[in-house]
Amino acid sequence: MGSLPVFREFIEQACRHDKKIHDAACYDLKLAVDEAITNIITHGYAGMNPGSIILSLEIDPDKIIVNITDFGHAFEPSEAEAPDVDAGLEDRSTGGFGLFFIHQTMDEINYEITEGGNRLTFIKQLPT
Amino acid sequence: MEISVKQSEQMSIVMIEGSIDALTADQITTCLDEQIKNGEKHLVIDLGKVDFMSSVGLRVMLGALKETRKLGGDLCLACAQEGVARVLKMSGFTNLLEIYDDIEKAIAHFKS
Repeated sequence: MGSLPVFREFIEQACRHDKKIHDAACYDLKLAVDEAITNIITHGYAGMNPGSIILSLEIDPDKIIVNITDFGHAFEPSEAEAPDVDAGLEDRSTGGFGLFFIHQTMDEINYEITEGGNRLTFIKQLPT
Repeated sequence: MEISVKQSEQMSIVMIEGSIDALTADQITTCLDEQIKNGEKHLVIDLGKVDFMSSVGLRVMLGALKETRKLGGDLCLACAQEGVARVLKMSGFTNLLEIYDDIEKAIAHFKS
């Protein structure tokens, strides 16, 4: 988990270089990346030696494209059940919020199984 | 991440500085658990210097909230920055506990 701040800082630095990326969008990107990488470390590499995680960011005039590649077990993001955000305290669980936040903050999510691993792509639209 | 606790008669104010994520969550949980184990059932968590919180932070808060309420106490949050506030709102946590804009209002929660 020690790499999480490094990945977030990478996103932060990239966002600072582009004035059209507002703080809220930057936070959304950091959140989505953090949640995805936490899942990869926890589940993707479960029972395996820790492996590489490759993060890339592409800033287009109207959108940001994030790619996360790992070499762990397959985990389809849409497989997880959405949490109940209206549940009362006793019924409240915090499981599933990671993927929920990714879906809430990103405009498009693509997942593919690659040779030897997985690639997750997020797209966040920027205001025009 | 730095965490410190200020105790008064009515409550403990837990100040967190930095990020609440999968790397730091255990340390925060340990601190909150210790407060509760020592009989502190009224907790204010000051998030004014928390620049990032992920879903793992929700688990930390929820665990402590449940424990304090079981003891007849409560937990409230204060001073969440914009991104953290949005995480709390998206998750529906705003329906579970009080979240105050400033620390004085959070302290007043337990003084009233």
